[in-house]
Amino acid sequence: MEAHPVCPICGTPIVPGAPQGMCPECLLRAGFETKSGHKSTDGKSASVPMAAEEVATFFPQLEIMELAGQGGMGAVYKVREREPNRIAALKFLFPEKQASPQFAERFEREARMLAALTHPHIVTVYDFGKVNKRCYLLMEYVDGLTLRQLFRARKLSPRETLEIVPRLCEALQYAHEQGVVHRDIKPENILLDKNGRVKVADFGIAKMLNLPGNLTLTGSMDVVGTPLYMAPEQIENPQVVDCRADIYSLGVVFYEMLTGELPLGKFLPPSQKIEIDPRLDEVVIHALEKEPDRRYQQAGQMKTDVETILQTMRQREESRARTGPAPAARTARPAALVAEAQAAAARVALPPKPARRRSQASRSFGITIAIAAGVIVVFTVLLLAAFHLLRSK
Amino acid sequence: MFATTQWSVVLTAGRGDIPQAQDALEKLCRTYWYPLYAYVRRRGYSPADAEDLTQEFFAWLLERKWLGKADPQRGRFRSFLLTSISNFLANEWDKARTQKRGGGKVISLERDEAENRLTWQPLSYCIPESSFTPEQSFEWRWALTLLDQVMGRLSVEFEQEGKKELFDALKPCLLGESSTQPYATLATKLGMTEGAIKVTVHRLRQRYRQLLREEIAGTVAAPEEVEEELRYLFAVLTRR
Ligand SMILES: Nc1ncnc2c1ncn2[C@@H]1O[C@H](COP(=O)(O)OP(=O)(O)OP(=O)(O)O)[C@@H](O)[C@H]1O
Ligand SMILES: [Mg+2]
Repeated sequence: MEAHPVCPICGTPIVPGAPQGMCPECLLRAGFETKSGHKSTDGKSASVPMAAEEVATFFPQLEIMELAGQGGMGAVYKVREREPNRIAALKFLFPEKQASPQFAERFEREARMLAALTHPHIVTVYDFGKVNKRCYLLMEYVDGLTLRQLFRARKLSPRETLEIVPRLCEALQYAHEQGVVHRDIKPENILLDKNGRVKVADFGIAKMLNLPGNLTLTGSMDVVGTPLYMAPEQIENPQVVDCRADIYSLGVVFYEMLTGELPLGKFLPPSQKIEIDPRLDEVVIHALEKEPDRRYQQAGQMKTDVETILQTMRQREESRARTGPAPAARTARPAALVAEAQAAAARVALPPKPARRRSQASRSFGITIAIAAGVIVVFTVLLLAAFHLLRSK
Repeated sequence: MFATTQWSVVLTAGRGDIPQAQDALEKLCRTYWYPLYAYVRRRGYSPADAEDLTQEFFAWLLERKWLGKADPQRGRFRSFLLTSISNFLANEWDKARTQKRGGGKVISLERDEAENRLTWQPLSYCIPESSFTPEQSFEWRWALTLLDQVMGRLSVEFEQEGKKELFDALKPCLLGESSTQPYATLATKLGMTEGAIKVTVHRLRQRYRQLLREEIAGTVAAPEEVEEELRYLFAVLTRR
């Protein structure tokens, strides 16, 4: 008889009848979510962002106001430029991998292309460069939320989704025409400002940093970026992707906006998960074709298809408004919106369940989350109100 | 579609003759017979009796007379089964045996296989089951069965895409990067880039988590219970 197998992770012998011969305990442990994909399973966290005061020492020309957010490759600060006097976002990248001369050259080349992009739905790059072996990008500051934050506050209605997606298509179509592929379309990189305007951030940064070649920053995939939005061909060969990879990623985001889930494995068409125009299935599935040749070849085509459906939806809502009772709660009434967003935030604010008796520390953490959620609610409400205003114009 | 399969359907259907509910219940029985069998065996019944008993229990279950009893709060399928089988052993088994409904087998229990799994314990000192009560044994086998189900589905998905080998090579990575098979080694072995391996593993893990939750969702009364049940099962597996 062969030696009794032992779990490579925990070292205990594997019981007969174990699922696929794997240690059941470790397997189930792997089933727990690592929160928001920004922490690795082994507890190592990504590089810690510098404090605003420390960053300030590198940028005498800027007033560093606050840390706006953190990603896998660096941190983003809200800053005030003195000349010209304006608020901007400073993306300060972590120093890994930036030492090589090839990197410097690529960064330079790509950043120049990005700075040349000017589009109402693309975050404008003002400036870029390097200090103390770290690359930075100075860009338009978007005072609002990322699509990810919006997801956390509540689900989007199909109507809202259909208003947003064509703007994303426009941004992509424009950039593609300029020869720039985004390569990292995901909810974190889609920003919505207070007036409800959609802005795509981080165009081409992935290429600049040669991702996912440097996904190894900390040795854990979960830390840097998420591959969940990547096209199959991009995963296989990240160096040679074209605009159709962005279209696939947009398809993933689209699906998530509609259903709240990712199109993983054998996924259902959106119309089987929620009530929507079944023609949308075709659009989403066309964007999510595994074979790039079978996908939409241009973001502009996708935009046209989405807008056709949006048109029908608008007409239907208008005729309903004229004849029948008020349209569904999601569409307009601000009061309903407030109540609903608050309910959503209450869900966000729920403390993690396992700790039955929570310590003082975790309780105050719960409160912190509640406050943060409150802020998001207010924001969401403002944002959506603005959104509806814009639309009704 | 998992959302409407299984336990919640059975509960909401009640006694009304709804074919979906009957299907769902049968499917549940077919999947989770082994923990029951193990339970009955550990209660001291012979393999032959245990098989009979489990069959009779399922027949009784599928008649769904129990659904008439006033108890809207049936909770999870797992705990329901355990309570029901012990009641069945206490009250119904004798009746059933004298009646001998002879309705044939409800589901096929592979008894030999089941016995194999129960008795083949070369390292019994390290197998926690040997020190368990019948109830604990049931829960422990339940957790294993559920995981087996999930891994089976995951494997089939890969197989359908013609990626069985990839799945077999990468499934240990679900638990994390192993020191004996680092991603770099796997990459060379599979002729992929290290980046591609990482991405595939990441997706594998996401899909696994999703399927795990789907499977659990099929055994609880409401979606809100999924995470709690997941934690409960983890506690069951780490019980020593
Ligand atoms: N131009 C901007 N204006 C305002 N806030 C921004 C801007 N760009 C980024 N942010 C905020 O900073 C956060 C971190 O952004 P960053 O791009 O570093 O990480 P990410 O997009 O989450 O992940 P990745 O590093 O993979 O791109 C964002 O989630 C967002 O909240
Ligand atoms: Mg970003």
